Amino acid sequence: MTRPIRPLVVALFALMSFSAAAEPDAGVRFSAAQIRRIVSHGPWPPAPQRDPSNRASGNAKAVAWGTQLFGDTRLSGGGTLACASCHQAELAFSDGLPRAKGLSFVDRNTPSVANTRMQRWYGWDGASDSLWAQSLRPMVDAREMGNDFARIAAAVREHPDLAEGYRAAYGAAPPADDEAIAVDVAKALAAFQETIETARTPFDDFRDALARGDRSAAARYPVAAQRGLAIFIGKGHCDVCHVGPRFSNGEFHDIGIRHFVGPDRVDSGRYDGIRRLKASRYNLLGPFSDDPGRATAVSTRYVASEHRNFGEFKVPSLRNVARTAPYMHDGSLATLRDVVRHYSEIDEDRLHADGERILKPLHLTDAEKDDLVSFLESLSDRWR
Amino acid sequence: MGPTRKIDGASYTVVFKTVPDPVQVGAHFALDFAVCPRGSADVPRAVRVDAIMPEHRHGMNYRPVVTAKSSTMYRAEGLLFHMPGRWDLTFDIDAAGPVERLTGVLRLE
Repeated sequence: MTRPIRPLVVALFALMSFSAAAEPDAGVRFSAAQIRRIVSHGPWPPAPQRDPSNRASGNAKAVAWGTQLFGDTRLSGGGTLACASCHQAELAFSDGLPRAKGLSFVDRNTPSVANTRMQRWYGWDGASDSLWAQSLRPMVDAREMGNDFARIAAAVREHPDLAEGYRAAYGAAPPADDEAIAVDVAKALAAFQETIETARTPFDDFRDALARGDRSAAARYPVAAQRGLAIFIGKGHCDVCHVGPRFSNGEFHDIGIRHFVGPDRVDSGRYDGIRRLKASRYNLLGPFSDDPGRATAVSTRYVASEHRNFGEFKVPSLRNVARTAPYMHDGSLATLRDVVRHYSEIDEDRLHADGERILKPLHLTDAEKDDLVSFLESLSDRWR
Repeated sequence: MGPTRKIDGASYTVVFKTVPDPVQVGAHFALDFAVCPRGSADVPRAVRVDAIMPEHRHGMNYRPVVTAKSSTMYRAEGLLFHMPGRWDLTFDIDAAGPVERLTGVLRLE
């Protein structure tokens, strides 16, 4: 009985798929204002841009050396860990763990290093204002790679391949100053990471189709993702923080995730991040920036510390979000559906009294949650 | 050079323009502005600039610095609007009497 039916089902499915692709009205009808908001999330990829604070930025030889260093365990104190131990290419340059594990466990989730070129702040708390300063920190953090400047410098001087890499990248032999060598290693690592960029996604094709008024091409974007996008820019207000081509405003918010990282310890997030930024001699106002006019230091010069910064964490990019589970600064949410559920049922009592007023429970239906997850999945460069 | 906007208060008029114009979400900008005393109002001793999102109940994450270019011309640097929506730009003018606050509205898409 089933044999005659199966071809019919396949034929009907093919016909429905063709209709969805060819019939522009099959999807959500976005208004002109909504289309402007959608188009603001592109184009992708962004135009290349050099980092003026890093003389290795955009230098092909420094990028090559940085690529080698990224996987080199000689940069860690015990010789067992590399940057790539936590930022694994096959896991979208993250590690798949709730909380990072270097020489010991860290309180926070490992963020992907894709699309990190020329951001305003780095790390969940924004304690670094450049990719090179952020690259320096894990090497000398006792919980992560557990090294120090003297041993990093000795490795670069004493291993011929590393010394040659330094010479190629910077046009001179490694200097006598240990700190200068460690910073230059970080700058080469940053030069490499600047080249890690996520590929175009189904969303980008949809966005570009809308931008050029090609409704037929736009209709190829799954209808569930279109409905999810309508929630994202509509009642979800998600695009208030997840703005622009990177889907992040690069700033910090309290979204009701627990602050406690143990029975008697609190992660104060951005509050302590600003304090550490201002105290760091590796910030963009400090002596190691290669930007003589310090034009890249505007954010560092004017950033303000407020009480509400306590418990705020950086708004992550949503590009490749389907490939970077688990989620939130502490990795406490396992799946994208958990993230959507968090916002749908958000506990307002957990939010700062002087925090963001627009965060309200969305009370999404199961179908709406599915749609929002479909949209988020469409921001990844390996469509499931 | 962007368009100028004018705000009239009881004792002062502020004329300002953003640099660049329009302001982009997540990008630093400056304000060039003039504070013009009305009638017999005193020349300001100090001017402060800030901005808030009234619908969101928060302000900027940056504290701008105002520099006097002349007795009436000023530049504020370090502003950044990190969200789209309505921003109320405030000019607090400190002269001999009570501080006068003038507010201009900017909307970012």
